[in-house]
Amino acid sequence: MSGRGDGIVNGRGERRRTAWRVHGLSVTGYRHRRDGVPCQDAWRADDTGPVTVLAVSDGAGSRSRSAEGSKIAVKLATDRFGRRVSGRRTEATAVHGLLRAAYREVRDEFLRQTAEAPDDFAATLTVVVLAPTWIGHLSVGDGFVLLRAGVEDGEPQFHLLPTAPEVSEYSNETVFLTSSDAEKWVRTACVRDSGVDGVLLSTDGLAQAALANSHGRPQIPNASFASTMFASLENAGDDPHADTEALAAFLRSDRVTAVNADDKTVLRAVRS
Amino acid sequence: MRRDQQPRPKSPPADFAHIEIGNNAQRLPLVLCLDTSHSMRGTPIESLNEALRSWTRDLRDDVSLSASVEIAVITFGGQCVNAWQGPYPLPPQAGVSPFVSAGAFQPPQLMASGVTLMTEALELAMQIVMARKQELRQSGLQHYRPQICLVTDGIPTDRNGHPTDRWRRLVPVLSHEQQERRFRLYAIGVGGVTSHGAQVLEALAPKFNARLEGFPFRDLLQMMSASASAEQKGAGDEVFEKIFSRFTQRPAWEH
Repeated sequence: MSGRGDGIVNGRGERRRTAWRVHGLSVTGYRHRRDGVPCQDAWRADDTGPVTVLAVSDGAGSRSRSAEGSKIAVKLATDRFGRRVSGRRTEATAVHGLLRAAYREVRDEFLRQTAEAPDDFAATLTVVVLAPTWIGHLSVGDGFVLLRAGVEDGEPQFHLLPTAPEVSEYSNETVFLTSSDAEKWVRTACVRDSGVDGVLLSTDGLAQAALANSHGRPQIPNASFASTMFASLENAGDDPHADTEALAAFLRSDRVTAVNADDKTVLRAVRS
Repeated sequence: MRRDQQPRPKSPPADFAHIEIGNNAQRLPLVLCLDTSHSMRGTPIESLNEALRSWTRDLRDDVSLSASVEIAVITFGGQCVNAWQGPYPLPPQAGVSPFVSAGAFQPPQLMASGVTLMTEALELAMQIVMARKQELRQSGLQHYRPQICLVTDGIPTDRNGHPTDRWRRLVPVLSHEQQERRFRLYAIGVGGVTSHGAQVLEALAPKFNARLEGFPFRDLLQMMSASASAEQKGAGDEVFEKIFSRFTQRPAWEH
């Protein structure tokens, strides 16, 4: 299951017989639509036995082949992270090391495949591994991940996994897989909470809509965004195509565009 | 009677309309630092006012810029330097930010008279940019690299209208600030700016300075919008240079 461009046709996937129901979608942002530039975001989800791997990537706006770069990144990520995790029982304490090892494999292969000019393919990468007893997260660049876990006062609780530290004064500057010191900026997290029943990955195009401000940075989940995103996957309508269209229309709407005109990607998983 | 004729009741697709989205767009502070001294009287100031009005409409209609770009106007003319919050001049030391979201911006109606306090105007521009960045950070908003656009048809003077060299004290400051990428400064000479005037602009903004025929304010403001879009895209320096040279080298019949 993978996302290409607007991904409506390919991005309709609903998976059965696995622990998680997954749906992903990338839409071309207003600026790229206006300039006739293809979507530079990509997403992909893969099942490898009991493990589901989710990945989103944002190709650098200023690089000529970043739309290809983001597709290579998510393909390699689901493949390599899946291979590393499946077929072995990994203790949660070993997860960070495992994620980093998988990351290095992805990076090395990415650099090999783009050897002609890796920087032209620059892309961020955010990966979540849904294993039976833990959830692993690795990110390079400014993608982000929301979790739904627990209920307080009858309201579901949402959590933002720690995001990468800012690399400069300006938020539009970030780190890519191809950055020479990328490994220094890689973030990993391991969550061992069986109460997590929703996971959402996104590229920075949705940061303003999905996150609310708190103490100097947009750092807490926007509950109205998160609850709608998870609920709409759990209570899908009868027509998956119409559901995807409704989501795409929201992502392309003026009010979402006004706060960020970049490409948008949402990759969601809820326990089935 | 055939069966299956009854349409199955359909549950509608999800409704995303009630998702609340505050305006936490990444901000792009943009300062227009405009010469309104005596020599701008008549057609030049009128065409500047008209260009500001049409640019304001364009910005408001641009869904990718209207919530992100924030405009402040600084004028140097009369006997002083003025900061404007949209159409209103702010009293000195007002302690109020002159920046207004492009979606809500209304241009001031400018008049021309007096001297050319260019140095003081640029100092105020840097000051309000710095203060705005701090405000944005405090309210948890991210921002792009601000843009300052200086437009003049003259040379820096003191309060008595005598040419002055005080602008030289800005050169090392501007150079350092630009190196630190605190903002991007454009310095544009219009009308009959002299070669001395052009040298001043070159010293202030070594990369983005120009000496233009006539008063092409409309093109100039469009160039600022194009740079703002490039900034949002995370474009490299070469893109800004290209946008700028396309503006300064546009065909004569467009002047």
